[in-house]
Amino acid sequence: MDAFQGLLAGFQVALSWEGILFVLIGVVVGTLIGMMPGLGPISAIAIMIPITYGMDPAPALVMMAGVYYGAVFGGSTSSILLNAPGISGTVATAFDGYPMAQQGKAGKALAIAAIASFFGGTVSVIMLMLLAPALASVAISFGPPAYFALMLMGLTAISSLSEGSTIKAMISAVAGVMVVTIGIDPQTGTQRFTFGNVNLFDGFDFLVIALGLFALAEVCMLIMNRKNRNLSDDQKLGSLKVTKSDLKEMSGPMTRQSFVGFMLGVLPGAGATIASFISYIFEKKISKNPEEFGKGSIKGLAAPESSNNAATSGAFVPLLSLGIPGSGTTAVMLGAFLVLGVQPGPLLMSDRPEIFWGIIASMYLGNIFLLVLNLPLIPYLAKILSIPRPLLISLVIMFSLIGVYSISFNTFDLYMLLVFGALGFAMRVFSFPAPPFILAFILGGMMEQAFRQSMTISNGSLGIFVNSPLPLALIIVSLLSLTIPAFIKWRSRRLSLKR
Amino acid sequence: MLSTMNRRIGLLLFIIASVYLYLSFQLPNYPYAPVDADVIPKGLGILMLILSVALFFSRAIETEAEKAKRNIPKKELLVLLAVFAMIFLYILLFEMVGFIVMTAVFIFFCSWFLGYEKWKTNIIVSILFPLGMYIIFVFALGISLPNGILPI
Repeated sequence: MDAFQGLLAGFQVALSWEGILFVLIGVVVGTLIGMMPGLGPISAIAIMIPITYGMDPAPALVMMAGVYYGAVFGGSTSSILLNAPGISGTVATAFDGYPMAQQGKAGKALAIAAIASFFGGTVSVIMLMLLAPALASVAISFGPPAYFALMLMGLTAISSLSEGSTIKAMISAVAGVMVVTIGIDPQTGTQRFTFGNVNLFDGFDFLVIALGLFALAEVCMLIMNRKNRNLSDDQKLGSLKVTKSDLKEMSGPMTRQSFVGFMLGVLPGAGATIASFISYIFEKKISKNPEEFGKGSIKGLAAPESSNNAATSGAFVPLLSLGIPGSGTTAVMLGAFLVLGVQPGPLLMSDRPEIFWGIIASMYLGNIFLLVLNLPLIPYLAKILSIPRPLLISLVIMFSLIGVYSISFNTFDLYMLLVFGALGFAMRVFSFPAPPFILAFILGGMMEQAFRQSMTISNGSLGIFVNSPLPLALIIVSLLSLTIPAFIKWRSRRLSLKR
Repeated sequence: MLSTMNRRIGLLLFIIASVYLYLSFQLPNYPYAPVDADVIPKGLGILMLILSVALFFSRAIETEAEKAKRNIPKKELLVLLAVFAMIFLYILLFEMVGFIVMTAVFIFFCSWFLGYEKWKTNIIVSILFPLGMYIIFVFALGISLPNGILPI
């Protein structure tokens, strides 16, 4: 099936009544959860996964994708109105969005964010449509050594690009793989670290980890900040109107940063957060009036918003065509695929074209829905920000508990959810990033399998990873991605000590 | 020696890594597997040992923002512990008492405990949410949730 036919088949899925309904559910839920300060896309996806049990995979995954980009789209609302980013990808949105809201132009800021998000999202779906099939057809020839090296690169990239200490990020990643080794080894049947406990034979379900480390830990942070202000009822949004000169002003940043965001989204480890910061700095650097940035500049608002949404679709490139997630969020997306019995990767495009193309086609539709939701309907949607925090906290706890119970019907997993919730909170308090942990947890099992397959092919020689060019290159890149930032930090410290 | 937080965490991780590594060496071997089940755990254990030592001796000084993050008032920590205790009780009892009753009780008390004062709204939400979830899960998704004491 060629790409054009595939896309037509995809639109058949996306434009069926089922497809339209589930895209709509996905983007609405995503927008609402994304808006809540403190609850990110990972929690949004993890909370929604139980709903998909027993569903047909194509509409289910179309919905889950909608939850993801919907959350990134919706995160900007609370950044602008409350100066409390809904998700980490919209931190940079608040830099100029909140000052605009303070000047009484909240409505305009929301409208600009919505248009920029729509533009970034749509441009990047077009690029996803072109790049993903090409990458999949190359990746079909990759053997286990290349896959192992690719996953290793994903882990080292996310560790070195995480906020704060690289050592802590690496500890996070290694701990994630250590947790995967608990359970019966699928290849030899050996019990590892189960202590004879039947509940541990299958290892931990990824939903226990995702809901614990993210949803529950985010709830803990919400409990700490429960007295932060909500949206007050009398807050005026002002006119949503965007003038022609505004559009002209934002067109440059929007176009440039959609490409920047997409490319950063494709690369492992980066994603929406880093993309939005880089785009903000990029536009500030090339601007003729950089002093306007931070005071309510239209360019400073449009740049990160186009970029984070473009990065979101970009992140689907490695997920769909290689089957390897590059970020914590796409790791949980991969989990959503696996729950439904769908293995993304180079074979997805030929084996399950309705899923591969259905997701891509649905993104065009989803972005249009999001534009409608976030432009004319935003004053009504923003009301959700006035939900009292205590109520929100209790409900999110319940969603997490029901989610885990409905996969295992076992209270042991619920206690484990509590344990991982406490761990996730401790990690946030002591500045250990959680995304490397979840990515490592998802990739860990696949990495071990690829490693052992490679060693079986090579009869136990590690040379298989360095004898062919692709794995060698990827391993070198992995090592460099860890050592270069450390070296730069070391140099800058030495220079500052000399002074 | 344990002057900074990083050192304390480093030591804790060192102990965890050592136990993990010890257990990895207890894993059985099979003669015909080129890479046995113990290889990856051993590698991970060693990697974690190295990283914990690196954290212990790292000269990175905590930034002010990081320090502020772990400066939690005792009272807030108690609130958090209380919520965890409530979740624990919920897990302990909900299969026996039933999903709807236990969830209603949890939402009401947890929201009230965290400072929600509009008790009328609270009661309405506490009853409607479990009912709604029950209907979605049991009737729409076909996932059974414990009935407990309610005769449904």
